[in-house]
Amino acid sequence: MAEQAQQNSALSAAVADVANGVALALDGEGDSYALSALLAQEDTVALAAVRVLGADVLAPYALRGDPARGSTDRQVVRRALAAYPPGADASDVSLWSYRGLVEASRAFLPETGADGVDGADGGGRDGEGGEPGAERPPEPRPGDAWVQTDPWPALAHRASQLAALSLPSLAPALAVGLAARTDDLARGFVRAVRRRDWLQAAGVGRWLVRAPDVPDSLGLAAGLVFVRRMSGSDPRVVLHTTAAQRFPGGGPW
Amino acid sequence: MVSGGPPPARRAHPDADLLDTVAAGALDWIGAMRGSFRLPADVTTDADPNLTLKPLGELAELAQVTQALHPVAALREAAADLLAFAWKETRGGELFVELVRGEPVATYPVELYGVFARAGLRHPGVEELVGATTSLRRWRVAREDHTRTLNVLNAERRIGLPPHADFDTVLAHTGLGLRPEPWALDRKAAYGITHDVFHATDWGRTPGGLPAPLAGYLRLWLPAWTETWAEERLWDLVGEFLAVSACLPGAPYDLAAWRVLAAAQAPDGAVPETGGVPPPGASPGEAFTACYHSTLVAAFAATLARAAGHPDPPESEATP
Repeated sequence: MAEQAQQNSALSAAVADVANGVALALDGEGDSYALSALLAQEDTVALAAVRVLGADVLAPYALRGDPARGSTDRQVVRRALAAYPPGADASDVSLWSYRGLVEASRAFLPETGADGVDGADGGGRDGEGGEPGAERPPEPRPGDAWVQTDPWPALAHRASQLAALSLPSLAPALAVGLAARTDDLARGFVRAVRRRDWLQAAGVGRWLVRAPDVPDSLGLAAGLVFVRRMSGSDPRVVLHTTAAQRFPGGGPW
Repeated sequence: MVSGGPPPARRAHPDADLLDTVAAGALDWIGAMRGSFRLPADVTTDADPNLTLKPLGELAELAQVTQALHPVAALREAAADLLAFAWKETRGGELFVELVRGEPVATYPVELYGVFARAGLRHPGVEELVGATTSLRRWRVAREDHTRTLNVLNAERRIGLPPHADFDTVLAHTGLGLRPEPWALDRKAAYGITHDVFHATDWGRTPGGLPAPLAGYLRLWLPAWTETWAEERLWDLVGEFLAVSACLPGAPYDLAAWRVLAAAQAPDGAVPETGGVPPPGASPGEAFTACYHSTLVAAFAATLARAAGHPDPPESEATP
């Protein structure tokens, strides 16, 4: 029990550190972003933190691509995916989150010829940007029927858990499906704030900022500021609200 | 006297059985507890009006709606009986003469009398008095609670007095009229909004009474409010939200919330204001305080939903 609690605490701290670093990078320091620099040491806890935050660990690259610098981070991501693959009975959310990280790596850190050179000091030696023996991560095909069928409270909860997939060009079908339920997501935002579930509210808010026809009366912009302040600037909430500011609109519709 | 004719037949409500069970149970319980609505001898002097006049006025207001609108004759009759009981408790309106004489510029005697006047239950002496008091400039001094002012305006209309302010202007300044961020609503503001709607629609009788932008605002956010307060088991407010929903054009019907509210109703028909029913052994007084308002609201909401006929598809339902 105590050991488990200690591990959870270490994971929470690592997640907070990485979230904080990503948010700072999104806030204007994206040029110098490196995921690997945020990890105190690349151990199982660090790799778990990468999986918890999912595609968001690469969000700064969505602002400014820097494939040369990204080679190391691509390998960090690949190791995190390999260390924590979704289980046989993984939920749709878990599968989507995993897939989101795969897609983010491919979209924001495309493999280039520079990888071989970069690999000399970054660990990759096969000229493809991968590690020896490292295979391309599988791309699960998670279910998405829930986007159409979930009652709005469950829909908003799941959407919030998958807020990282709201980054540009990831999971376009999911984004289109959720955009068709903007009012329901907005209701989910209301419910989350009423429950003082700031993380859920901020996550739902990320989908809403890029959704068409968000009701004016929701007061989304003020709501995101409110949520951020009320959370006491919780790093994961700040990551969501910062990403919501940096990636407004721009959906594929 | 009150009009007792059945409302016009409409397409049957698909959830009529549940709604009628809630309303019948609630009216049974209210009927059994009517003694607790009786006014004490010191009602015009020392008694706390929140425990005496307020419950009686709420009984008269909400029973009157059921008496007028419910499609089931037995429920209309039970409600008419309760309204007659309430009027009798006011000694045929004589109570209001005493209240106005005691506090000539207070609004509550006028508001309460207006409830009965709406049902055609009138007292000439009261009308003479309030004709004098409500024509004063003093009566037009703005009150700090706009929602309450709407109720005063409603009472003036019901009694036939000239309105002391413009209803729509006051409504625009309320918690509904300003359409606040829906996530910033607290319990007090929520009750303010429900009452803004009740006043603007004459307690559900004129669903078109709400300006379209306000109806649209409510249609959008009611599902979220109803859900969150149902999760908190605040049945009184859940009942009021369901009543508000039935006041909207098309009367969107929140089937899941109605199921939850019906499940919160005790076998004897009482609906607790919050949480669970009072434990066995609770005194009648405790049970009354814990349940009377929410039980009245449940009967009222079920009546409005039923009277609205076949509802629109619920806004909150997942698309297939």
